[in-house]
Amino acid sequence: MLKKTGIILFAAFVAAFSSPAFAGSIEFSVNDGKSNPVADAVVYAVPRDGAPLSAPRKAVIDQVDKEFVGYVTPIEKGTAVSFPNHDKLRHHVYSFSEAKRFEIPLYTGTPANPVVFDKPGVVALGCNIHDWMSAYVFVSDTPHFSKASDAGRGRIENIPAGEYDVSVWHPKLKASSKPASVRVKVTDDGASKADLQVALQNVWRAWRAPVASGNGYR
Amino acid sequence: MTSPFRFKSFRARILVFFLGLLVLVQAAVFISVNTASIKNARIQIDEALKITAGVFGRIMKEREARLLEAARLLSGDFAFKEAFGTRDHSTILSALDNHRMRIRADVMTLVSMDGEVIADTLNPEKISGEFGLKNLISSAEESEFGEAASVVFIEDRPYQMAVVPLLVPMPDAWICIGFLIDDRFVQELKALTQTQVSLLSNPQAGASVIASTLPLSEREALKAAFSADGPAQTEMELGGDKFVSFAVPISHGKDKVTALLQRSLDEALSPYKRLKSALILLFALGLALSVAGGVFMARTVTRPVRDLAAGVKRIYEGDYSEPVTVEQEDEIGRLASSFNHMLKGLIERDRVRSLLGKVVSSAIAEELLKKEIELGGEEREVTVLFSDLRGFTSLCERHTPQEILSFLNDYFTRISAVIEANGGVVDKYIGDAVMALFGAPLKNEDDAARAVRTAIGMREALKGLNAEFEAKGLPRLSLGVGVNTATVVAGNMGSITRLNYTVIGDGVNLASRLEGLSKKYGVDIIVSASTLALAPGFVYRELDIVRVKGKSEPVGIYEPVGETGAVDEAVVKEMESYHEGLKLYRERRWDLARERFRALREKSPLSLYAIYEERASGLIENPPPSEWDSTTVFHEK
Repeated sequence: MLKKTGIILFAAFVAAFSSPAFAGSIEFSVNDGKSNPVADAVVYAVPRDGAPLSAPRKAVIDQVDKEFVGYVTPIEKGTAVSFPNHDKLRHHVYSFSEAKRFEIPLYTGTPANPVVFDKPGVVALGCNIHDWMSAYVFVSDTPHFSKASDAGRGRIENIPAGEYDVSVWHPKLKASSKPASVRVKVTDDGASKADLQVALQNVWRAWRAPVASGNGYR
Repeated sequence: MTSPFRFKSFRARILVFFLGLLVLVQAAVFISVNTASIKNARIQIDEALKITAGVFGRIMKEREARLLEAARLLSGDFAFKEAFGTRDHSTILSALDNHRMRIRADVMTLVSMDGEVIADTLNPEKISGEFGLKNLISSAEESEFGEAASVVFIEDRPYQMAVVPLLVPMPDAWICIGFLIDDRFVQELKALTQTQVSLLSNPQAGASVIASTLPLSEREALKAAFSADGPAQTEMELGGDKFVSFAVPISHGKDKVTALLQRSLDEALSPYKRLKSALILLFALGLALSVAGGVFMARTVTRPVRDLAAGVKRIYEGDYSEPVTVEQEDEIGRLASSFNHMLKGLIERDRVRSLLGKVVSSAIAEELLKKEIELGGEEREVTVLFSDLRGFTSLCERHTPQEILSFLNDYFTRISAVIEANGGVVDKYIGDAVMALFGAPLKNEDDAARAVRTAIGMREALKGLNAEFEAKGLPRLSLGVGVNTATVVAGNMGSITRLNYTVIGDGVNLASRLEGLSKKYGVDIIVSASTLALAPGFVYRELDIVRVKGKSEPVGIYEPVGETGAVDEAVVKEMESYHEGLKLYRERRWDLARERFRALREKSPLSLYAIYEERASGLIENPPPSEWDSTTVFHEK
């Protein structure tokens, strides 16, 4: 598992677009049904009555020590993501996912043009020359989302009062078992709770040999 | 009962023993070598098969690893990911085929995560549809790294197949890649391991041979002999050859596949077969040599033994002429030499015995040989017979001593024959006289009668002899015989170095006296009253009652005329008349007696009648005193 979590950048832009004081929040927890917390789970809330899209935002996915920083990066649809390379070698970031097919051929530093994820869905990122490098971008339809901590917990802030369908996504989410979304009522004062259960499956990734800066894995 | 293992011939026994020993030892050697050889061959095959099984497993693993490696490479191949990204069937298929050929694999299939075929090199036309090898995918899904490999069947053909996920970089499809398992594969294995390799599938529902290095003709037999549930190691006959088989399961489940590794026992035994034929040759040689040697040895041992046996047989048959010739100095030679000594002793003894039989009567000789010879005797009732030739003295005057001896020998031979025929024993010859015994040394119930019969027989024998003498112009001879029965002493008499078996006593003398009296009474034979009492089966003529010199008791004397019933009626009548006359005489009626004797004399030539006529006349003229008892006293011998 990726231990190095990196800097959580999106906290900044969540703060930037924070709503007036009357907005509520959802405190959530995600477990795998066996009382194990599920880290990196993206929990998103879709308003029952439809909600306007928020303005386009920006996000960054760094590459440090031949790994993507952030195993899972939830973004809102239309977000432009830049991929700064902090290593002293080149990377070749690509995705063949339906939601976003792109390729940034071998480059150093930060590519000139960020990649705009304009379709909701899951985008699997890879590096052509480092098979083990793997990360996910969850492109959300709604601005109300958050990522679970290592303890499987999190909070979706600044949600206008109303009824929401709260759903969860995770890279290891079992394809066959669509987790039921839970309906949560959000009020202006105080935090609503959502306890979510997901069934996970094994997801294989390429093998990385042990290196000085970190453990290898398969 | 004769055991079948008992041989009559010593030679056969020796031969059988040594040959038996040889065969036993050789057989033991042969059996142990053979057993050890087969055991050894089996051990070698076992080891070879186990090594082969290891090699086989290893090769299968290697192939699996190659497949997995190849699939992994493809999984990380950016170009392929791009091709996959195009979702263009022809491109994907072509890329698969391209990769397949890189490692000479036989099949590559790309399957979606949902189990749908995306592209399949075996079915280029297929662009969708369910993938057949669900189990393979399932085991990959259940594995830690999303990989699996197994032997599977595609359209009834076996493939060694590996599956890994296509990572873009998350798993987005299954890459399947496989090698076909065929005869070429097992032939390669055979070339590597020198072992027959057969792959059998689905053994529960009747095994089928997937691939084999065995010739086609033997595959049916292999199918029949194979049992999936049997032990790993078995033996089976294929094409007349015995194979040690070792089963190695290479896949489980529904499409169970077993590799059967086999080595020919006969092939492994072929070096031992040469040893075996060498052993057989050696055995035959050894046997032949042993037979020859055994026969030779047996002969050298048994020939002298047979010679000895023949010698003993000759001696048993009375032929002492040949000693045994054995020119050996071993035990047999010493035995032969001892045997020859014994033969010498036997010849000596026989000569002595034969001589003894001639010198003494054979009965006495037997008696002497039978017992310890010692002086002294025992009292016995014996009938003694004396015979004497009359007119022999005058015969002597007219003939040379040689002729006399010849006559005498003739006479004695016949007389002795009569005596021996009646069971008597010639005690001695005294000049022309013979003394014979009945009742010593052997006793018979009727010894007295035998003596009387002998006396009569002698008289008859003399008649025959006289007829011969007459024919030769020789004078007739007459005989005097005296027979008496008495208790006498019988035994060996003389000195310890020189002795006779004989009888001694008054009775012997009396017999001799009676013989002497016969001439006086004009009769051939005189028998005493004691003999008459013991031999009643004859007709006797009473002669007189006499007192002989040296004996106080009067003795009645009689002449045996013949056996009862064998005497003429006329003779019996005459005898009755005579006995009446004798009675008158003894009653002192001499006139009447004289008349009677005269009448008898005029009819018969017997001198007895004349004697009594004369005696009666003498008594009439000089009557005796009243104490006259009619006995006749003889003073001379």
